[in-house]
Amino acid sequence: MAIEKREGPTVVHLQVNGEAHTAVAEPRLLLSDFLRQTLGLTGTHVGCEQGVCGACTVMVDGSPVRSCLTFAVQVAGSSVETVEGLAVDGKLAPIQEAFRTEHGLQCGFCTPGFLISANAFLDEHPEPSVEEIREHMSGNVCRCTGYQGIVAAVRKAAELRREVTDGV
Amino acid sequence: MASESFTMPAHRYVGRPVKRVEDPRLLTGKARFVDDLTLPGMVHASFVRSPHAHARIVEIDTADALALDGVLAVYTGEDLKHLRPMVSDGLPREELIAPPRMPLPSDKVRFVGEAVAVVVATSPYLAEDGRDLVDVTWDPLPVVVDPRQALQPDAPLLHESFGTNNCAHIADSAGDPERAFAEADHIVTKHFSHGRSTGAPIGLRGVVAEFEAQGGGQLTVYPSSQIPHSLRREIASTLGLPEGRVTVRVPDVGGAFGLTVTIFPEDVIIPELARLLGRPVKWIEDRWENLATSVHSKGMESTMEIAVDADGTFRAFRAHLITDAGAYSSLYSTPLCDSITAATMLPSVYAVDDVAYTIDNPLTNKCHIGAIRGVGWEPGQLLRETAIDEVARTLGMDPVELRIRNMIGPEPRRAAFGQTYDGGSYVESLERARDEIGYDAFRERQRTLREEGRFVGIGFSPFVEPTGWASKSGHANGQPVNFFDSASVTMEPDGSVTVTTGLHSHGQGHETTFAQVAADELGVDFGMVRVHYGDTDSAVFGMGTHSSRGAVIGTGSIVAAAGEVRGRLIALAADMLEASPDDVELRDGQAMIKGVASKALPIAKVAEFAYFGGEARTEAVTQRGLTATRTYDPLETYANGAAAAIVEVDVETGAITLERIVAVEDCGVVLNPMIVKGQVAGAVAMGIGIALLEDLVYEDNGAFVSGSLLHYLYPTTAEVPMLDLHSIQTPSAVSVGGVKGVGEAGTISTPAAIVNAIADALSPFGVSIDRAPVTPMYIRDVLRAAAERDPA
Repeated sequence: MAIEKREGPTVVHLQVNGEAHTAVAEPRLLLSDFLRQTLGLTGTHVGCEQGVCGACTVMVDGSPVRSCLTFAVQVAGSSVETVEGLAVDGKLAPIQEAFRTEHGLQCGFCTPGFLISANAFLDEHPEPSVEEIREHMSGNVCRCTGYQGIVAAVRKAAELRREVTDGV
Repeated sequence: MASESFTMPAHRYVGRPVKRVEDPRLLTGKARFVDDLTLPGMVHASFVRSPHAHARIVEIDTADALALDGVLAVYTGEDLKHLRPMVSDGLPREELIAPPRMPLPSDKVRFVGEAVAVVVATSPYLAEDGRDLVDVTWDPLPVVVDPRQALQPDAPLLHESFGTNNCAHIADSAGDPERAFAEADHIVTKHFSHGRSTGAPIGLRGVVAEFEAQGGGQLTVYPSSQIPHSLRREIASTLGLPEGRVTVRVPDVGGAFGLTVTIFPEDVIIPELARLLGRPVKWIEDRWENLATSVHSKGMESTMEIAVDADGTFRAFRAHLITDAGAYSSLYSTPLCDSITAATMLPSVYAVDDVAYTIDNPLTNKCHIGAIRGVGWEPGQLLRETAIDEVARTLGMDPVELRIRNMIGPEPRRAAFGQTYDGGSYVESLERARDEIGYDAFRERQRTLREEGRFVGIGFSPFVEPTGWASKSGHANGQPVNFFDSASVTMEPDGSVTVTTGLHSHGQGHETTFAQVAADELGVDFGMVRVHYGDTDSAVFGMGTHSSRGAVIGTGSIVAAAGEVRGRLIALAADMLEASPDDVELRDGQAMIKGVASKALPIAKVAEFAYFGGEARTEAVTQRGLTATRTYDPLETYANGAAAAIVEVDVETGAITLERIVAVEDCGVVLNPMIVKGQVAGAVAMGIGIALLEDLVYEDNGAFVSGSLLHYLYPTTAEVPMLDLHSIQTPSAVSVGGVKGVGEAGTISTPAAIVNAIADALSPFGVSIDRAPVTPMYIRDVLRAAAERDPA
């Protein structure tokens, strides 16, 4: 992609959770702040602004991205998915249901990032081993759970997702 | 000494892994944390903070900041001098000095990150731009970072007017330790240097405040807090407002771990800015601010001596504990939250009644020490349990047998410093941990692996901890503070139930567990109960959630209040059913005559009658309706358990691999086993961090070098193994429902198990592990030093 030099606020067109949005963003505005403040999608959380904790993870064109390390203007024309897009018609997605069943959350602050990262991981690894889950999920940090419920939830979600797929 | 007697009805929900009510909003992005709040006309604050550990403020030039478009105001300490100093005087111990802290200092700063000015602008980005334009002229002062050095007479003074850096020097003893030390066959001494760690919740701390000047003024504050009513007290007094004119409304909180037991300058400054500006003001900390300036915990230099006879009988314990207090005495917990907790629980699960301690609490040019999960019980546990392993090595005894030989029985017992344990599975927990981890087989494997040049080790850590923290446990444990906690229960006209509590939930799942308790008490469906907290206008008064107190206080107060409402409903239903109240029970949403299923009324009908039944209602209902508010200030409750760990140490690299952790938890009657397991697992993970990773490090000049999650490392899925968690339930002899608390157990017990396992792995090298976190570099240092001592 060619780098285009811009100054001042830029109009950004993008899709978020399947809906088209057009909004103005300063070049320095982080994607996390754009989603939270400009679009009012506060489900994406910011825990470190340094790309370490993973709470701000969103999907951009099918890949997990740290929205605190991404500028809003970088995703112009892209398709973004956030935690708000997971449940459909009020029904929890398999990953959400699994986190609830396996007690994969306590305070819930890191949870949106975990859900997005776990879904992205399961897209690539539909039948993961516990070791694979532990390795891949180590990019998100949780201070409450000690990860026992999170690892169990990712396993459980893999099962639920297969049931959904098999059922179709 | 009996507790007030309550008859709890048959449990339909208590004890079951009911799924959490909180989860749907948290899983769908619909929760509302403080940073998610936006109020009309809201502006944003950013703090100017000191790069120096100790320096006089010569001049603060705000002109460039004020000239920036979007910057509305800059306030310095001079501008906020009218505020009352924040004084940590909530702990009435005469030995304690409490340095006052102006919300913004105008004379000098005492640690890196201390705020000296605050910039308000129309966006958070512009507020930070303005912050960077504030020019402060500093006059650096001599720095003291070493707590032992801070106690020396020539050390730089943090607060000159006190003439000392020591917040408190307290010595106490029980029994006759001098004699026991004189008579014992051996005295084993252990030194331990405990690093600073903190809660560091993923959710960053923040405050939003708005002030309505009309009609006498009304301040509304939305903080991330775990103590809404206590925070309201401090805000009101610092700002000079009546408590009734201050509303604290805590939104969802992204974890706390004790961090927001401390009340911070920002908690009062942001409300004051809202008052001065007449606009809502928001401040959200960043991660550096969280790590550098909120609360540190557990920094402690300590020494313990154990007097022991040749047969392994412990005769006496003696300890000197130096808590590195940081720059201020934290409000309200003071550095005693670490030092005296460690000291008074020194005997723990051991039948040792001759005990002595001395504590010192020197101020240093660092962030202040406050109450974080496990408080001083954890470094105290680490000190004692590593010392006991030293005793085992000295006497050539098995560490588990040595412990069991000296442990107390399961019955309630008065401990050396006057605490009254309410009974527990002290020995049984350790035996369970030993058996679950496969101790006997492990020793064989350890020998085999050593022959292959691999070093595995095992460590144990049995514990008892105060829970349900309230007046009596505070007084018994050296912190003579009085508490007031209450709950209200209302049955609405349609039979649904609203519970309010002065406790707070920030991950513990109170909306679920307390609804379980209330539903059982009132015989209604779980889904009919809503639990409300966090808003000082609409929830009854309480001292918040900390110190593993929620389950005990919540159950006690809710059972009492719901029991009163139940009594009124039963009396009313008895009239309606033309039966004796003694024969009526509330069950499955019905008021029914016991054993006669056909003689029943929906509870909702009884409730409706209670509101709108006119003259025919009972007097209790006409006078008090279907609301009851009850307080609960329990007798002392103590949870117990044991942790066991197996580690492998790579002696070439110093790398430590956690192979297994077994945790046995006995928190009395369990309200919700899923939630209890989650609390234990989370606490164990924090213990792993304390043992191996987490350290808030200062350089000799007071520079802070752990200001990001790249430097301050927490455990991830890669560091926390699958945990082997076991439960024993010894009902408390004194609390309502036999409940004890659970929040801190794993954090208290785990580090000692891990450090003992590391020392055990390295026992062929004759090294001693005497600091935490135990890092690979430290392992290599001690192994290298051992090799230099003994080149063979």
